[in-house]
Amino acid sequence: MSRTLCGSRCCSPLPARTPAEAVQAYRARISRVLSCLTTAHVDVGGGYAPSDAPHALIMAGNDAVALRGASRLTLAVSEHYTITEDSDAGWQVHRAAYFYAIGLHDTGELLAYHWHPRGKSPVVDPHLHVRANIQLGERWLGKVHLPTGPIELEDIVSLAVNELAVEPLREDWKLLLHENRA
Amino acid sequence: MATRTDNEIRELTPEQGQQLLDDKARQYLGISGEEFRIRWEAGEIDADDEPDVMRVAMLLPLAG
Repeated sequence: MSRTLCGSRCCSPLPARTPAEAVQAYRARISRVLSCLTTAHVDVGGGYAPSDAPHALIMAGNDAVALRGASRLTLAVSEHYTITEDSDAGWQVHRAAYFYAIGLHDTGELLAYHWHPRGKSPVVDPHLHVRANIQLGERWLGKVHLPTGPIELEDIVSLAVNELAVEPLREDWKLLLHENRA
Repeated sequence: MATRTDNEIRELTPEQGQQLLDDKARQYLGISGEEFRIRWEAGEIDADDEPDVMRVAMLLPLAG
């Protein structure tokens, strides 16, 4: 799997004429998806300048925030992104790393979807950690990198609501996810 | 269920980003943000060491 194409969903439905336009569309999309599950704020930095170094988008300081529903789950979300100009598509934002963690209130992380191609880890493809206290030979399951392919934030929201008994905060959440995936 | 608006987006300065990194490195790993950055860049710690390393590492770009 390519490092550069893993998180390559274009974040703007129309070609952006400037880096700022591309970044604003990306940030608005993430904010809108998160609003399906939480009211937590999003921190961003780095402005709109294209560079090799990634920019960051962090929900609630990357803390786990409580989700509504009987399952008492939590969610932490952060992404890195880069801004590039494509001759055909104008300015675009591409994910460069992600961290989506679903946890259980008072217990901690249960599922952690990671993609960190720039770190020191030899595992550069998207993967899932299942934080179960199970030993497999000399390894613990929680440290095993289960391959996933690229995971979108929309996938996490859909998983939470459809499978994990999380209650959405907005009634148009299905439409919103559908439009983002179109 | 009411129709909601999108969540607030806050643009942090590099100084605010450094403060956030420091706060979270201390909260999750018991070290300063600067020590985390140095050890991360030296390859002494990586995302697989423990669950919260990745959580903190994601904050690094905010600190400039």
